[in-house]
Amino acid sequence: MNNGAMMIPSFGIGQRVPRKEDHGLLRGQGRYTADVDIHHQLHAVMVRSPYAHGHIRGINAAVCATMPGVRAIYTAADLASYGAITAGGQAVSNRDGTPFQPPPRLALPQDRVRYVGEVIACVVAETRWQAKDAAEAVVVDIEQLPAVTDCAAAVAPGAVQLHDSCPGNVVIDFQFGDSAVVATAFGKAAHVVKQRILSNRVVVNPMETRAAVAIHDPAAGHWTLHTPSQGVFGMRQSLARVLKTPPETIRVLTGNVGGSFGMKGQIYPEQICILHAARALGRPVKWTDDRSESFLSDNHGRGADMTAELALDADGRFLAVRLTGLSDLGAFMAAPQIGTTNAVKNLIGTYRTALIEVATKAVLTNTTPVGAYRGAGRPEANYYMGRLIDLAAHELGIDGVELRRRNLIPGESIPYQTPSKLTYDSGDFGAVLSETLALADWDNFAERKRHSATNGRLRGLGVSSYLESTGPAGQEMGGIRFEDDGSITMITGTLDYGQGHASPFAQLLVDRLGVPFDSICLVQGDSDQLISGGGSGGSKSMMASGEALLQACAEVIARGKQIASHMLEAAAVDIEFADGHFSVAGTDRQLALTDIAARIHAGLALPQDLPQTLDASLSITTPPSSYPNGCHVAEVEVDPETGVVQVVAYAMINDFGVVINPLIVEGQVHGGVMQGIGQALLERTLYDAQGQPVTGSFMDYAMPRAVDGPPMALGFRPAPAATNSLGVKGCGEAGCAGSLPAVMGAVVDALSIYGIRHIDMPCTPERVWRAIQAAQAA
Amino acid sequence: MQDVILGTSVELPQAVMQSVSLNLTVNGQQREFVVEPWTTLLDLLRHEMDLTGTKKGCDHGQCGACTVLIDGRRMNSCLALAVMQDGKTVTTVEGLAAPDGTLSPIQAAFIEHDAFQCGYCTPGQLCSATALLQEGHAHTPEEIRELMSGNLCRCGAYPNIVDAITQVLAQAATPEVA
Repeated sequence: MNNGAMMIPSFGIGQRVPRKEDHGLLRGQGRYTADVDIHHQLHAVMVRSPYAHGHIRGINAAVCATMPGVRAIYTAADLASYGAITAGGQAVSNRDGTPFQPPPRLALPQDRVRYVGEVIACVVAETRWQAKDAAEAVVVDIEQLPAVTDCAAAVAPGAVQLHDSCPGNVVIDFQFGDSAVVATAFGKAAHVVKQRILSNRVVVNPMETRAAVAIHDPAAGHWTLHTPSQGVFGMRQSLARVLKTPPETIRVLTGNVGGSFGMKGQIYPEQICILHAARALGRPVKWTDDRSESFLSDNHGRGADMTAELALDADGRFLAVRLTGLSDLGAFMAAPQIGTTNAVKNLIGTYRTALIEVATKAVLTNTTPVGAYRGAGRPEANYYMGRLIDLAAHELGIDGVELRRRNLIPGESIPYQTPSKLTYDSGDFGAVLSETLALADWDNFAERKRHSATNGRLRGLGVSSYLESTGPAGQEMGGIRFEDDGSITMITGTLDYGQGHASPFAQLLVDRLGVPFDSICLVQGDSDQLISGGGSGGSKSMMASGEALLQACAEVIARGKQIASHMLEAAAVDIEFADGHFSVAGTDRQLALTDIAARIHAGLALPQDLPQTLDASLSITTPPSSYPNGCHVAEVEVDPETGVVQVVAYAMINDFGVVINPLIVEGQVHGGVMQGIGQALLERTLYDAQGQPVTGSFMDYAMPRAVDGPPMALGFRPAPAATNSLGVKGCGEAGCAGSLPAVMGAVVDALSIYGIRHIDMPCTPERVWRAIQAAQAA
Repeated sequence: MQDVILGTSVELPQAVMQSVSLNLTVNGQQREFVVEPWTTLLDLLRHEMDLTGTKKGCDHGQCGACTVLIDGRRMNSCLALAVMQDGKTVTTVEGLAAPDGTLSPIQAAFIEHDAFQCGYCTPGQLCSATALLQEGHAHTPEEIRELMSGNLCRCGAYPNIVDAITQVLAQAATPEVA
C-alpha cells in the first residue's frame, strides 16, 4: 500500500477518470426499463406472426377474451386512427432526384404480415403470465403467401412483391457519381479487381431486450413512457407523430439502457400498442420482450450483397472505386443511409481515389427490418475497400502494406477534398500505419507463422487503414443548472446506452468552469427537461454535446461575470474568470462560481438588468462530421483440420482527435472490435425457404464470448479535428470499421496457401473447412 | 380488412395451483416465500424481493446475465426453480459488497479496468467471476477467458473483464507484504 502523499485525483480533459455510474451498476442499482414497476400496472404480451408472408384472414380472440385476467385484446382496427411509423435516419434520394418513398408501416398490420415476428395483436392482462397464456389462445387465420428472404431473389423478375407502393421490391434506387466517367476510368485502367462481397445480416442482441411501461393521465391528456432509447427528444417526436398528439403530451423517460448499438434508436409497434392500451384501459401497462421475440422483432443489422471494383494504374495507384449491389431492408424501411449515403461517405476511407461510383438498391424482403448497427454502413464500406486492396495487392504482386502506402492520402494533402464531397480536415494516415505495424511487431510475423505451423496451425496477418465519417450536424441541447444542494446538473439531448457520457462530459465542466467533478451529474433521459436533442448515434455525442456544453459553459461564465461585477463592485470588463473564480483584474478580490450559485439560491437580490441566474440552457447547430481514423492489425490462427479460426493477436493505433477520457475510449474500441470479430467469424442470421428464421436463440446464433476476444494492444495518435472546439472525432463505431477488413484480411492470408483469395463472413469453422476442401479439390 | 372476433370477457374458474413454501437466505437475510412451483429463482429475486440487480437476458440459460451464487456456486437463476432451492443460501450482485458498502475485490477491479459498459451483463459477470476465483481452476488469462465464456457481453468488454479478474487472481496469489 502506498503510504506516501495522498494522490489528488485529476478530472480534467485527457484523464482516465472512472465512470460516475460505475458504483451503482456494480451494486445492482442500475434502473433499466424492466426494473420499473408502476402500482396497479397491467401487462402486455404481443401476438406475432408465425409466417413470413401472408394475408390476415381473421383473428379469433374469443377464447383469449375469456381467459383469466385478460383486460383487452387490440388489433389493427383499434389503432386505425394512428399514423404510420416513419423511418429514421437521413434524407436519401433516388437516382432521379426524387425522395424515396418508404412503405407505410402501421403499428399493427391491417391485412398482411410480411415477416415472422411482426406484431399482429396485443393482449393485456393482470399478470404477465396471464397475458402470455392468453396471447397463445389468439387464433390468427393467415393465408400464407410465398416469401422472399434474399435480396437478390427479391429483385429478380417475377419475385414475390411485398408492398404495392414499392414495385420490384425496391425502395431506394440510389446513384452517386458519374457512371460514364467512372466507366471510362475502369476501361483505361491497367488493372481492375472485382469481387462480390456479402455483408452478413446480424442480430443486434443487446443484453437488455426492449421494454416499455406506459402511463396515461386522462385528466391532463398526458402520457409517460419509460423505455430504452438513444435519445428521448427524438423518440418523443416520433411517438407524437404516430399518435397524432402534440409532443408536449408525451414524456419519455429513459433510465439505464442495456446496450442498443443503433437498434433502440427508433420507435417500434409495441410502444404504440401499450401507449394506446394505457389510455384505453386507464391503467399503467408494462411490456418486456422475450429474447426469442427480440431475435425476431428488433431491427437487425448489416445485410448486403455488393460487388466492389477497384481500378488501378500500372504503378498500382487507385483511379476509381465502384460499388454496385443490394442492401437488404427486411420487410420495412428502418434506416435509409446504410447502403447508400454512408457507403458513399466511407468507401475511399484513407485512400486517395479520384473517382467513386455507388449504385445500389435498397430492397425489401420477408425478413425482420434492418436498421442501424454500430456504424450503419461505415464498417461495411471500409470492409469493401480493404478487401479490394488485398485482392489488388495479390493480383499486382505488390506487398499489401506497400500498396496501401502508395495510395494513402499524404499528410501534406490535408485538408483533402474527397470525391464524396467531404473535406478531411486532419489526420496523418501514413504515420498511423507505421506506428501500428511497429505495435503489432509486423516485421517478425514470419517467425510467429513458423511457430504456428509447428502446431499444425495456419497463421495469417491482416491490416486495415480505416476512416469513418461520423454523424452529420443537427440540433443539440447544452444545459447547465446549479442546484440548491450545491450540485451541478448537466442536461444533454444525447443519451448514453452504455458509452459512459457522465464522466467525460463532467471533465469538460471541470476544465471550463473549475467546478468539483464530484458535484456534477448528468440528466439525459427525461424529455421534459430538453429543449432539443439529436440523441446518440453515428459516433457524434462528444462533438454534439461537447460543443453544446462548452457553449453553455461560456454562457455561465458570461452571466457570472455580470453578477460578479455587481457583487465585487467592479466594472464587468475588469472581471476575469479562471479556475472556478471570478476576480477583479489586478486585485485579490474574487468570488467562486459555486459561491455565487449558492448566494443566488440563498436569495441574493440582483438588479433587474443583471442575469437572475447562472443557469444556461441553449440549443446549437452541432459541428459537422469528423473523420476518426486509424489502423488495425489482426493475427489469426486457422486449424486446417477443423476450420476453426482464432484471433490470436490484435494491435491498433487510432486517431480520435483529442481524447477526453482514454479509459472510456479504450472500452469503446474494444467493444467495436469484438462486434467486428463477431460479424467476421461467428454471427450468421439464417432464414429457410419459407422465411422462417433458423438462428433464433443464443444456441443457434453465435455471439462473441470472452474466449473469442484476443488481448488488444491499443494506442492513440491524435490529430485534433479542426472542425470543432474540442478537436474531438468520435470513437464509438470505429472498432467495427477497422476490425472487419483486418480480421478478414488475416483469415484470407492464412488460407492463401490454398489459393483462396476471398471468403465471405462469417468465417465459421464449416465455411472455412469447406473453402479449404473446395480449394484442394480444384 | 381482418375479421376480428372478440369474445365477451367472462372469468372462467382458474385452475387450482398448489403454491409451495420455501426458505431462502438471500444476501444474509433469511426469508420464507410462498410461490407457484414454476417460479424461477430469477423471478423470485426480481419480483418477490425487488432485487432487480439480477438481470433477465434470455430466460433460457444461454447468456449468463442472471448468474447468482447458490451456496457459493455460480448458477443461472433463470434455470433454477425457486422451490428447488429450499434452505439454500443465495448471493446476488446486491450482496457482493461488504455490509459497510466496501466493494469486493472483483467489483473494485471492474472499476479500475473499466470492465463494463452498459452494465446489464455486469451483475452476472461479477457473480460468475466471484465464483471463478473461488473455484481455483483459472490460473491464466486464457483459462479465465474460457471459464468466463458462459457470460455474454454484447458491449464486448471482455478484454477488460479478463484483465480485472487476472488482477484479482494475482492479488490473491501474492501474500500481503507487511
